[in-house]
Amino acid sequence: MNQTSPYRTYRPAPFTPEERGQVEILFGGLHWRAERLIKAVFENLGHRARILPTATREDLLAGRELADVGQCCPTSFTTGNLANFLRAEASRIGAEETARRYVYVTAGSCGACRFGQYHQSYELALRNVGLEAFRLFLVAQDRMDQGALAGGGLKVDMPLTLGILWAILCADALQSLEYQVRPYEVVPGETDRVVAACVDHLEQAFRNRPQRDGKWGSLAWHLGTGYFVEALREVYRRFEAIEVDRLRVRPVVKITGEFYLQTVEGEPNHNMHRWLEAEGAEVYPAAIAVWLDYWMRFYVQGFEDEVGVDRTARAKIAAVRALQRVFGWTYDRLRAALGGIPHALPDQYELRRLAAPYYHHRLSGGEGDMLVGKALWAHLNRRAHMICELSPYACMPNTMSIGAMAGVLGKHPDLLYAPLEIKGDAEVHALSRCQMILTEAKKRAQREYEEALERTGLTTERARALLEAHPEMRRATYRVPHAGAAGTAANLVLHLAARGRA
Amino acid sequence: MFGRKPSAAPGPRPRLRIGIPRTLNIWSTHQFWIGLFEALGIEARSIVFSSDTSEEQGREFGRGRGTVDCCYPVKCMSGHYGELIFGQKRRIDVLFSPMIYSLPSMLHGHVADSLACPRVMAAPENIRAGFTREKDVFAEQGIRYLAPLVSLGDPRLVAKQLHPALAEMLPGLPMKEVQRAVDAGYQALSAFNDRLRGRSREILAWCAREGRPCILVLARPYHMDPGIGHEIETDLQAHGYPILWSQYLPTDGDLMDWLFGEQVRAGEIRSPFDIADVWPTSYSANTNEILWGAKFAARTPWITCVIRLTSYECGMDQPTYTPVQQTVERSGTLYFSFQDLDSTKPAGSVKIRVETIAYYLERMSADIIGRKQARMPPGCPLLG
Ligand code: SF4
Ligand code: SF4
Repeated sequence: MNQTSPYRTYRPAPFTPEERGQVEILFGGLHWRAERLIKAVFENLGHRARILPTATREDLLAGRELADVGQCCPTSFTTGNLANFLRAEASRIGAEETARRYVYVTAGSCGACRFGQYHQSYELALRNVGLEAFRLFLVAQDRMDQGALAGGGLKVDMPLTLGILWAILCADALQSLEYQVRPYEVVPGETDRVVAACVDHLEQAFRNRPQRDGKWGSLAWHLGTGYFVEALREVYRRFEAIEVDRLRVRPVVKITGEFYLQTVEGEPNHNMHRWLEAEGAEVYPAAIAVWLDYWMRFYVQGFEDEVGVDRTARAKIAAVRALQRVFGWTYDRLRAALGGIPHALPDQYELRRLAAPYYHHRLSGGEGDMLVGKALWAHLNRRAHMICELSPYACMPNTMSIGAMAGVLGKHPDLLYAPLEIKGDAEVHALSRCQMILTEAKKRAQREYEEALERTGLTTERARALLEAHPEMRRATYRVPHAGAAGTAANLVLHLAARGRA
Repeated sequence: MFGRKPSAAPGPRPRLRIGIPRTLNIWSTHQFWIGLFEALGIEARSIVFSSDTSEEQGREFGRGRGTVDCCYPVKCMSGHYGELIFGQKRRIDVLFSPMIYSLPSMLHGHVADSLACPRVMAAPENIRAGFTREKDVFAEQGIRYLAPLVSLGDPRLVAKQLHPALAEMLPGLPMKEVQRAVDAGYQALSAFNDRLRGRSREILAWCAREGRPCILVLARPYHMDPGIGHEIETDLQAHGYPILWSQYLPTDGDLMDWLFGEQVRAGEIRSPFDIADVWPTSYSANTNEILWGAKFAARTPWITCVIRLTSYECGMDQPTYTPVQQTVERSGTLYFSFQDLDSTKPAGSVKIRVETIAYYLERMSADIIGRKQARMPPGCPLLG
């Protein structure tokens, strides 16, 4: 039992302004479109940035080995991902140079679950790969203007935060459009080609974003500018060229789950998005914006508890709700630039109302009451045929809401719900479980489509003929309004009939 | 532990029997609930806590009620609910299972937050689902289920948060009375905590005077439940070593100054209760207390051994393993951990380990005390 110097937690060495432009900022953990645009935001502000490769199963194993075996799987994926990247770099250029050349920036300083403790896993992993000198910084995801991180090399200020926010919103809108187009594209691979070009275009726009001085100047510019709308208009024009056949009957599968697992597209979630599409589904992806909106609601709820206790509480509620409205308005503006096709943000207060009988809105950690709320919202509003919930192994809040879902299913036995525990291994098990429920979802989509035909008196052939007569309706940019069905084909039939009557 | 003293109650109340599951953070807040209900005129004997966790309880009352696989302290809660619903000689009227969002903590104000574990706060929602998914067992049994969310770490909010649930139970209950009851609850809780902290100080002072070692248990409050912590500390106590729990360590100013004053004056921490030097993201109350306990143990000469208890599939404890162990061991204090505790007590291996621990304590304690004492400033208030 040798006594040594007392244990002290990791403190990163400063990242100084002089290093800006030499040091590369590493980040990752979102879907690739958002990551590319965020990289452009960093570059716009004079930084060098690099997106970490999407995590793999090897990263998961490394994360378990280097930090804790029993930690939640997103922690393992992200820790292993960073550690493996740094290990590879260290063997290429040496540990010292690796620590000099890169810093890692991530969100994670909040709340009740492991998300607030990521630093510990990263720190352990760094120690275990002999890279204690490497600098990693946690950024609070709930504060717009946090000043400079240690050393002043990176300022988390309005231009950065707003840039990242707008990057996320644009990426979300694009992702939503993309997932509503690809399953119906007539020329296979065309959507992917167009999306790649669109991301290049948007990346360019973010890299060249005009700079505005000061906190308020920057905010006013972002809110007022037509710059991003114009960039998305160009995306819209490129999508216009894609021909689609929306009479293909596809079940709509809404992805929910823990933030990281529902957001990434790759091995951490068994490539679920692509797998579902390959199995014939239309995926309703989880927008990052929904989570940001939830965060604002979370603050509102905290202040609601203080009404009658703190005199400023009502004013604070009003302020955050106003912010939420501005946020929603901004997203709607960007959606409108894409023809209004990207899914709207669900009303956070409706999600709360729906979840209330099963899961208290103040319970925090992870997605809180949103897993229950979103499942019910999609089901009751006919926005999806099935919910695929990506639930991380050893996640604390997620296990709780899955448990509460038992109560939901008791009341709504017709809700098709596939909670998949994601461990990194056991892929076959997860996919076959999903497939079973997907089979039922396909039947429902087919039934719904047939009912739409029956109700309207149309046949598939007749519907096709109507589409032939209206070439604009065969374009990816034609918006099929939601006519009460969950499936795109059924909505299209209902829409065709309504148009015919008009 | 869950004892209660009769108190003068306000006017008569309907003869309600209230069942409270003896689980999770009820273990550190039971005195608050007893104080609160008594102040509302509920007789002490009408407040029924389920029994300690046991395998039989789970088998008899909790089977088939689980809705998800998770850590053992949450999983076994179904048995507690079941026992309160089906296992009482006299039926309870209310099953009261608060969703404890945040906790009172001696570190409050010195750390980022004092939240409960996400599973602790949400467990009632989860467990309830197991009793309502097919049919509503509560309604069927004529039991009112009440699970208010409560931020015990923020006393300003508590009366407001509890009022709707309590008024459901006691119609017409005015807010003012709830506030009075909440105050009484806090008073009862702090009187109880102070008593136990006083006891811990006496033990430490005795150890200091006699030059004798003691053991500190670092665990969550519910590891005091014999079915969760498996009474490992009692086995050690049988070897003659006094046991302290981190939740009830003394916090008197003189002792704090002796233990942490130097670090505070050096500007390394802002106060004796600041743990930013070892655990910067200090959001979780029980985690924070474990880390603080580790620091306390590292500096206190007569704590020559730390026992760490953690439950199977605990998501909160995992990241603390290294900092806690390092904080303790680098001070030269013995450290032993019992991880992944679940329903069954691994009696054989516990026995062997307890004997090993006792052996090391016997052999090394005097030396550890001497070396740790040499590092501390003079004027130990425990010796005063
Ligand atoms: S929400 Fe779950 S998976 Fe995500 S960080 Fe928290 S505990 Fe881990
Ligand atoms: S702290 Fe650990 S053991 Fe306790 S409820 Fe949370 S996850 Fe379970």
